[in-house]
Amino acid sequence: MNRRIALRHLALISGGLAFIPSCDFSSDDILTAYNNLKITQSQKQLLGDISNVIIPAGEIKGALDIEVPDFILVMVNDCLNSEQQTLFSTGLAAFPDFAKQSGGGNFANLNPKEKEAIILSGQNLEGDETEKGAENKAISYFLNTTKRLTIQGYMASEYIQSEVIPYSLIPGAYNGSVLISDIQKPRING
Amino acid sequence: MANLNIRNKQERTYEAIVIGSGISGSWAAKELCDLGVKTLMLERGRNVEHNKDYPTTNMLPYEFEHRGQITQAEKEANPIVSKCYAFREDAKHFFVKDAEHPYVQEKPFDWIRGYQVGGKSLLWARQVQRWSDFDFEGPARDGFAVDWPIRYKDIASWYSHVEKFAGVSGNKDGLPNLPDGEFLPGYDLNIVEKHFQEQLKKAYGNDRHLISSRCAHIHEPRPEFTAQGRAFCQNRNLCQRGCPFGGYFSSNSSTIPWALKTGNLTLRPDAVVHSIIYDEEAGKATGVRIIDANTKEMEEFYAPVIFLNAAALNSNLILMNSTSNRFPNGLGNDNGLLGKYVAFHNYRAQVSGQYEGHLEYTTSGGRPTSAYFPRFRNVYKQETDFLRGYAAGFSASRGVRPNTEGIGMDLKNSLLNPDQYGPWYVGSHMMGETIPKESNYVALDPNLQDPYGMPQLKISVDYDDNDEKMIKDYQEQMSEMFEKAGFTNIRVNDDHRQPGLDIHEMGGVRMGKDPKTSLLNANHQLHAVPNVYVTDGASMTSTSTQNPSLTYMAFAARAAHHAVAESKK
Repeated sequence: MNRRIALRHLALISGGLAFIPSCDFSSDDILTAYNNLKITQSQKQLLGDISNVIIPAGEIKGALDIEVPDFILVMVNDCLNSEQQTLFSTGLAAFPDFAKQSGGGNFANLNPKEKEAIILSGQNLEGDETEKGAENKAISYFLNTTKRLTIQGYMASEYIQSEVIPYSLIPGAYNGSVLISDIQKPRING
Repeated sequence: MANLNIRNKQERTYEAIVIGSGISGSWAAKELCDLGVKTLMLERGRNVEHNKDYPTTNMLPYEFEHRGQITQAEKEANPIVSKCYAFREDAKHFFVKDAEHPYVQEKPFDWIRGYQVGGKSLLWARQVQRWSDFDFEGPARDGFAVDWPIRYKDIASWYSHVEKFAGVSGNKDGLPNLPDGEFLPGYDLNIVEKHFQEQLKKAYGNDRHLISSRCAHIHEPRPEFTAQGRAFCQNRNLCQRGCPFGGYFSSNSSTIPWALKTGNLTLRPDAVVHSIIYDEEAGKATGVRIIDANTKEMEEFYAPVIFLNAAALNSNLILMNSTSNRFPNGLGNDNGLLGKYVAFHNYRAQVSGQYEGHLEYTTSGGRPTSAYFPRFRNVYKQETDFLRGYAAGFSASRGVRPNTEGIGMDLKNSLLNPDQYGPWYVGSHMMGETIPKESNYVALDPNLQDPYGMPQLKISVDYDDNDEKMIKDYQEQMSEMFEKAGFTNIRVNDDHRQPGLDIHEMGGVRMGKDPKTSLLNANHQLHAVPNVYVTDGASMTSTSTQNPSLTYMAFAARAAHHAVAESKK
């Protein structure tokens, strides 16, 4: 949360500094809010795109609508060790070329089914000792981590836990033998 | 800030001083205050007021930036406390960070501490099983440590006394080795736990039992708890955050506010105890010297009775740092045994499995406890190649999970409509008695100091052959019981955790009949300084297998009444 505010502030400050000649808004600045990572604005957009393929918008909101990419980057920045962070960043950096090679174009311009196919194949890449193998390992690590954190960030979001599947701090008394057939929950259509 | 040292001595004099505000200290203070004794309670940490200082208690999962996880930076800065299962984003503010109070690990030991008003009573696992004479008679029967100077009959009524006030839920199980107490209705076992219970009866007759573990939770509202400002347990299972309902017993929700209400308690947080003051002429302790945690200034408080309840190892540390011409090796330490015979509970092994029966059932809601195996090894007679035995925790659970395969709209719909039940998962962990030995000890490091200028505690505690044999036996026996119950995919584990992570460190100031071989008498008084009482884990002569806090509470209450009776003589 705080970081999101910090990002907003950063945007305001950068805007305020627009008169400084060296401030070039066309460049792809590294996002300083994630100080352990070297993530650029365009990489964050790509991450958002990928998370939104993993959990797309439909009848209810998707990952991008509820700022899941912010959560992913906070978790990668704060909770992974430096080795894992390097793998994640390397995989993220290598993903556009991987997408081009396997899908024949810029990932952002592909249709949802094509994007899904690329992510699924990238998740299953296997690493080996070669340079290419190391890159493949990073891509699959990046995609699998992104999927895991997308699921976590989405399901444990304020939106899901207050509007879709309300979370209760008080779960009620214990029943140690509930017939599953007696549990009826309305189906939620995503 | 005024210089407190020039305050009149009389203003700093009380009728009793209690060092420590955790489970045992707060019980000593509560009893003393109820008996009309003007009591000063010293706590080295900050104040934590019930409800007011539980910042995370009503936070929703998404309000935690890392959804509960400890960050990498916190882990790297705190390799010791990070190992504790409860050191998570929602409760980390109640744990001592590694740099706050360094110590020397002569042998690997994870010392998990909570320095605040209420101590670890905010964080404990709330399991409260009574000891029986099978426990108190252990050292005498099996020839280790020294004989306990007390028996069950000495403590039984005090167990009742503290259970009634703290609120303990459980069933009357009628087991001689785990006496029944003053119980609120017990929590139910689930269908698979009951299945296990029945299978054990079939396979082992009346030798092995699985019961609903007795826990310090209020299962139903009663006026005596309302009078404490406590409601009842809402099954939140967020206890480590501090409970706004006072649903479980903590010093903060129960004994401390109660004692404050008598008007007899003065609570002094941020008071790091340096030592107990001994007056050579009077031949007794006269007060306590503290270091103000904020100003680092020394200050003294005086009282005719001192209760030492700083938690097991810190109580050792304070006594060792309380030196005088009469006691150059620490207060009451005429026999050189202070700090020795430290023991703990062996939690190293786990057994897990699955159950493919009762698949049409699951559970709903929450409960604050699970199932418990009282010790069944070597209870009536020695029957194995190791001494003593182990209790065990047990639970069966079944949750519904979503299918997380794939991505896209299918994944989204699976996540929103979880329908994968899978088998029941069953799991058990051992709680083994360890044998106190002279070679398991704590001492003051001669060179290193903590940030307050106090000597660092050097800890030298390790497992032994008896523990290794017990681990093996637990793994074999529990696997056999799992097999007999029809559980499958049985896995045994030894997590090789270091001593300390059980957070059941005990001893060093043990009780005994003989001043030559023990530090405390049957009333928890130092043999050599009878106006100093030690009623926390430090006083334990042996560990048995039960979670120890209930016994400390009963000890503290009993000793407080003894102290008041003595003062009236």
